[in-house]
Amino acid sequence: MYQLMIRQFLRTKTCQLGLILILALGLTGIVIGKQFLNDKEKRVAQTVEKQEEHIARNIKFHGDDLGLLLYYLKFSIVKAHNPLTGLSIGQDDLNPSIQQVKILTLEGQKYDMDLVNPTRLLYGNLDLSFILVYIFPLLIIAFTYNLLSEEEETGTWKMVRVTVKSQVKFLLMKLSLRLFLLVVLMSILYLIAAWVLGIAWEEAFFAFFIVGLLYQLFWFSLSFWITLLKRNSSFNAVVLLSFWLILVMLLPAVINNAITNKYPVPEALTTVIKQRDGYHQKWDTNKKETIEKFYKNYPQFAKYGYPPEEGFNWLWYYTMQHLGDEESRKESNSMRDKVLQRQKMSKQLAKFFPSMHSLLVFNDLAGSSLSNHIHFLQYISNFHENIRLFFYPKIFSQATTVEIDWEQFNPAFYEGRNQPVEWLKILVPLLAGILIFLVLSFLTYQTL
Amino acid sequence: MSKEVLLLIIRQFWKTTFKFGEIFFLIGLMGVLLIYAVYSGVSYHDQNHFRTDHQEKARESWEGNPDKHPHRMAHFGTFAFRLKHPLSIFDFGIESYTGNAVFLEAHRQNMVNFPEAGFSTGLLRFGELSMGMILQVILPLIIFFIGYTSVAADRENGTLKILLTQGAGWKEILFGRSIGLCLIALLFVFPFMIITAFLLISESHPTGDQWIRLGLLTVTYIIFIIVLSLITVSVSAKSQSSKVALVKLLGFWLVMVVLLPRTAQSLGAYFHPSPDKLAFRAAIEEEVIEYGDSHNPNDPHFAALRDSVLKANNVDSVSKLPFNYGGLIMSEGERISTEIYNKHHERLLNIYRNQNKLSRWMAVVNPYLAVKNLSMALCGTDFASYAIFQNQAEEYRYKLAQRMNELQMKFISSKRVSGSEGKVHVVNRSEWAAFPDFKHEFSNIGSTLRSEVISIVPLVIWVLLFLWFILYISQKSTVV
Repeated sequence: MYQLMIRQFLRTKTCQLGLILILALGLTGIVIGKQFLNDKEKRVAQTVEKQEEHIARNIKFHGDDLGLLLYYLKFSIVKAHNPLTGLSIGQDDLNPSIQQVKILTLEGQKYDMDLVNPTRLLYGNLDLSFILVYIFPLLIIAFTYNLLSEEEETGTWKMVRVTVKSQVKFLLMKLSLRLFLLVVLMSILYLIAAWVLGIAWEEAFFAFFIVGLLYQLFWFSLSFWITLLKRNSSFNAVVLLSFWLILVMLLPAVINNAITNKYPVPEALTTVIKQRDGYHQKWDTNKKETIEKFYKNYPQFAKYGYPPEEGFNWLWYYTMQHLGDEESRKESNSMRDKVLQRQKMSKQLAKFFPSMHSLLVFNDLAGSSLSNHIHFLQYISNFHENIRLFFYPKIFSQATTVEIDWEQFNPAFYEGRNQPVEWLKILVPLLAGILIFLVLSFLTYQTL
Repeated sequence: MSKEVLLLIIRQFWKTTFKFGEIFFLIGLMGVLLIYAVYSGVSYHDQNHFRTDHQEKARESWEGNPDKHPHRMAHFGTFAFRLKHPLSIFDFGIESYTGNAVFLEAHRQNMVNFPEAGFSTGLLRFGELSMGMILQVILPLIIFFIGYTSVAADRENGTLKILLTQGAGWKEILFGRSIGLCLIALLFVFPFMIITAFLLISESHPTGDQWIRLGLLTVTYIIFIIVLSLITVSVSAKSQSSKVALVKLLGFWLVMVVLLPRTAQSLGAYFHPSPDKLAFRAAIEEEVIEYGDSHNPNDPHFAALRDSVLKANNVDSVSKLPFNYGGLIMSEGERISTEIYNKHHERLLNIYRNQNKLSRWMAVVNPYLAVKNLSMALCGTDFASYAIFQNQAEEYRYKLAQRMNELQMKFISSKRVSGSEGKVHVVNRSEWAAFPDFKHEFSNIGSTLRSEVISIVPLVIWVLLFLWFILYISQKSTVV
């Protein structure tokens, strides 16, 4: 009988059209992910190649003055290649994954955007995570909204009722057949993605798959409940689509608006003004006072003393630059805290809604979430600090460029957070969602 | 077509619609969404307070500078903060993805940073809830939902036969139902427009330009509901049962709102790759160096300039010139690098325009996209509005840098060949306040409309097409 069911379902137009559509979209999603990764890799390769050239060219021009040379030198920090990003591009199309910094005020450099077409960002990426979160549920709805109602409307249900032992079992069979088809399809897409994007068979990818699977199960359990209500097809279609609309469009939008309005970030604007003023106004003030402030932060350099008040001096110059960061630190930190609060609130609220939860988990697993970016920014700050502390004493002691081993300055690779997959946190919200609708289904069945 | 019959059918459609509870549920739902969208829109727009405050703060510290070398001021620079258009309350457009603050200084075109999206989690990617979004995305569903049974149900239960035998023609039935549906949809649209008008008055002093925009916005959405009503009634008339009509309409909505826009935009980006920041900067730098590197003392372009200046002034060294030569050099360097930058930037914007072209042309087959694009443009939240801000900021930056170079040529001694620190070679601080602050000006309605022809024409065609289609099926339709 199962075989007959499969054959019958495969023959329907909905099934054929749906499967072809989602396969085509899924493949497009994989190609788009691949293009994203390729672009990034190309840029990283160029950055690595150019850094050496950049350093060599500037040494040629300004090699006689280390202070001036470092005014020009840019050091690159690169987010290491993570093929999972191809599955879920997340916020990585917007936040740059290559950043270049000079040893000048960091706050003026760290937030530099990449060049992106804002309209493209508005419509978003057609990546596999989008297909999984948006399109698969639609297909589930299309496959299941008339699971029972169609039989009733065409009059076949009466016949079924007398031929099968258990009606629920029959419905579950029909449902499981659709589930089976979609899971197979999803697995094929995952396999192709793993092969095309070069994803390793590791825990994160496995988690990616399990989340996708449970998310589909959630929609099936919801759909099963609606089916058991025994209403007509139109009712089912409208109700299921309303659920979809609420879960993947309205609620996320409502929550995102709420978070944006609850935590506005004017500190960003204050930070950039403060870092500018913190540095530039020092040009007009007493050199000794400026440098005293610097030595308070870095007592190890106090031995370099104070330059004369008249004239230009690199020690003074880099001190001024550093004070730009120092004097905007408060605002910069509170900007970061606000962003972290946004992240925290998003995650907490998303726990209650499988659509949002799945997308945020996908982004986290792929290293393309907001918290990943904040972590990357922190890495940039540390990198900047280390490289400054390396060069400061050399500049202050008027070392020559020859004394420095420039070959060590390859671009720095940021390897991500390398956090273990938090299985419980990831799975519980989805399992809870599935359970709720299974219980509802059970209760509905009892009252029938 | 008989007017009385038509009116009768319109009235009957209203009556049956309001007989059921669903319509009140839908009205209630739209009401709740509207209230939330208004709240969000107003809070989003309130970000302007932060921006004007910071614009003032930046200005205060600019004016607060003591007497100093103008080149120090050229690097002290200032900021341009992008203001939200008053109508952005209605439609957020691409605002969350566009930068809001740019640092303006000499020799360097900085990035416009801090888009809201940079502070947002992946949730933003599900979309935002604005009044415009509700009308573009939710309203079609509501119209489809109210209207899918409009003809199909009569066919199913046989009342269609009765209607036709009692003297109503197909034309009257189809137009009557369409007009009835339109009028109900208008009930949903008008509160949005009235509230927006009210917000315009209470939030700012609306200009004539803004009223025209709001008027056109209203017309746009009215056309949208006409198109949607005609689509609904035609599909309902052509379907065997209301169930089939509903499924067709929902499928149409999914393709129109979910599938086509994102796919079109993704394909556009796929076929028109754009450079990243590093490649973009590198290309400009290369071209600038090729043209003339003002930092290189032996650069042929600048050496020739120096020789001709010396000759014209009959002196043998730049320190004997009647003006500060450094100022002249920087002014020339600024001119060259800005010209090259502008050329590259325009090229970049053209790549973006090409990326967007596919989804803009999709308006021809997708009324949702036509309305979305037109709505963004009218609310000053589209790509063109953003490009205007970028250009204004860059223009101001150039003027600022050149003004500082002028001051250097005029007031700094020609003896001071390099360096800009210290308190000797300085310009009076009154010059800082004399240079006007940056002000973001919104584009006028004329230029907006010219760039939106591609959205306007399809909308008109859609209305005509469906009017024709209704006439066509009113002749061809059968009762069963």
